[in-house]
Amino acid sequence: MSVADVPPTEASREALAQLLLGIADDEFVIGFWDSEWTGIAPMLEEDVATSSISQDEIGHARALYELLAELTGDDADAIAFGREPDAYRHAALMNHPRTDWAFTIARRYLYEIADAVRLEALARSSYAPLAQLAAKMRREERYHLMHLDTWLRRLAADDNGTERLAAALRGLWTDALAIFAPIADEALLVQRGELPEPMAALRARWLEQVTPVMAELGLPGPTPEDLSAGIDDGRTRRTDDFRWLHGEFTMVAASERGATW
Amino acid sequence: MDDQERADAFYAHVSGGGKVEADDWMPDDYRAAVLKFVEMHANSELMGVLPEREWILRAPTLKRKLALTSKVQDEVGHAQLLYRVAEDLGKPREQMLADLMAGKTKFHNVFHYPTRSWGDVGIIAWLVDAAAIVSQQALRDSSYAPYARTMKKICWEESVHIMHGRDVVLTLMNGSPRQREMVQEALDRWWGPLMQMHGPPTDPATDRDLIWKIKAKGNEQLRQEFLSIYVPRIWELGLTIPDAALRHDDGEGRWQYTEPDWAELRSVVTGHGPMSQERLEFRRTSHAATQWVRDAVLGASSAAA
Repeated sequence: MSVADVPPTEASREALAQLLLGIADDEFVIGFWDSEWTGIAPMLEEDVATSSISQDEIGHARALYELLAELTGDDADAIAFGREPDAYRHAALMNHPRTDWAFTIARRYLYEIADAVRLEALARSSYAPLAQLAAKMRREERYHLMHLDTWLRRLAADDNGTERLAAALRGLWTDALAIFAPIADEALLVQRGELPEPMAALRARWLEQVTPVMAELGLPGPTPEDLSAGIDDGRTRRTDDFRWLHGEFTMVAASERGATW
Repeated sequence: MDDQERADAFYAHVSGGGKVEADDWMPDDYRAAVLKFVEMHANSELMGVLPEREWILRAPTLKRKLALTSKVQDEVGHAQLLYRVAEDLGKPREQMLADLMAGKTKFHNVFHYPTRSWGDVGIIAWLVDAAAIVSQQALRDSSYAPYARTMKKICWEESVHIMHGRDVVLTLMNGSPRQREMVQEALDRWWGPLMQMHGPPTDPATDRDLIWKIKAKGNEQLRQEFLSIYVPRIWELGLTIPDAALRHDDGEGRWQYTEPDWAELRSVVTGHGPMSQERLEFRRTSHAATQWVRDAVLGASSAAA
């Protein structure tokens, strides 16, 4: 059964909107945090590369917010900048600041693999605009993943780098697993083919990919406690760090409400 | 041919419009002068990142966020290209970064000032970049060919920045009274540094950078070109330029203006500007915080910094 056969209902439209919002917020927030490296990355060559990746994420966020805006009759900028912190739906992984370079690499590596798994599935979505966008995003994300894989391995080849990566990863697994937190009415999306597989299936595929790499590089993988931790609030938990970021990215708009910038 | 004859022939070559490549023989004076010029330019691109970088997290729309991040990224890319040109003249990049952070070498005056509002983001991208591009376009004719070639690429990107800056300013000027005030207030603060930016007039008979055609135009000529293009455009938007003496003297064919504060310029570029030490300290702190990364991936070769 494809979506063409069954017209969207209010419930299915709402579920699709939640799916899009979560992914868009993931890209938006990680893009904001990592864009902070622009101008101060470890090397000039890497500065340019990391800034490109952040810009790609913001570009993806924009495309996803636009898709969402078509669905809800809203405006992409209003969705991106016009909400209170508690209304953002990014995974808890994106609640943290860029921290040090090891944290940035570790977080982004976990995210890039998750994003690749997610996009591979979404490229098969019965919702054609999403399938097309996912296919386009995959082309750019493939390069991100190669870049991050190289960095992870370079840092892990150094004792100090390994130690710093381990420190970053140890506390990060439950927040990373939150990328695959179930969304409301997920079964409806799966039934309609808009989300071709349940989040639990994507989560399992992600773990199959990241866990062996951690073992290979001597880095801490998810503990049994991480894997059994509840993640229902994985996309609603917010931190003071994110509230600070939110204060930054809404500062200019807040200085003159309703203005065009 | 002895060294003096060789040098004389070299200087006759460059003064006559001839070009020099990195592996050509060149007198030490010329090499040192080009290095100093390019190094300061590279430093300026790198330090110029910081005032605008403060607004990367604050960009108010998705479009502005992308344009500003991309602009700052371009500046980093320019620094990288220019340090490479300078490196080929014999000074390692890490040494140039170390000298910059130690305050031993300079960067342009405009990057020693604070940014206070979104209006600054527009004024910097529009007018600071415009003043810079006037100089940089002239550098496409530099006698030092690797520098001239690099400037061609940089000028193209700078022209995109100016369009972004002008669009930010135009949007604000078409907005609310407070948004218009934001631009005017920014212009009031930036005008002085902008007028100082090209430096005091020099004597063409003794300015070696000019005689050796490292740069193709004198400071005053660049300032006049900047004023000719941008004063009408600034006025057209309904902005007031904070200099009552500013006017075009049709008889003399040049702009008259209040003498820029050259003492301020000297003080600022020697590290006494309002943000000089803070920006250098930020650069030092950021560099120190990522030293372990360079050590991890480059090994001992990064130890110099």
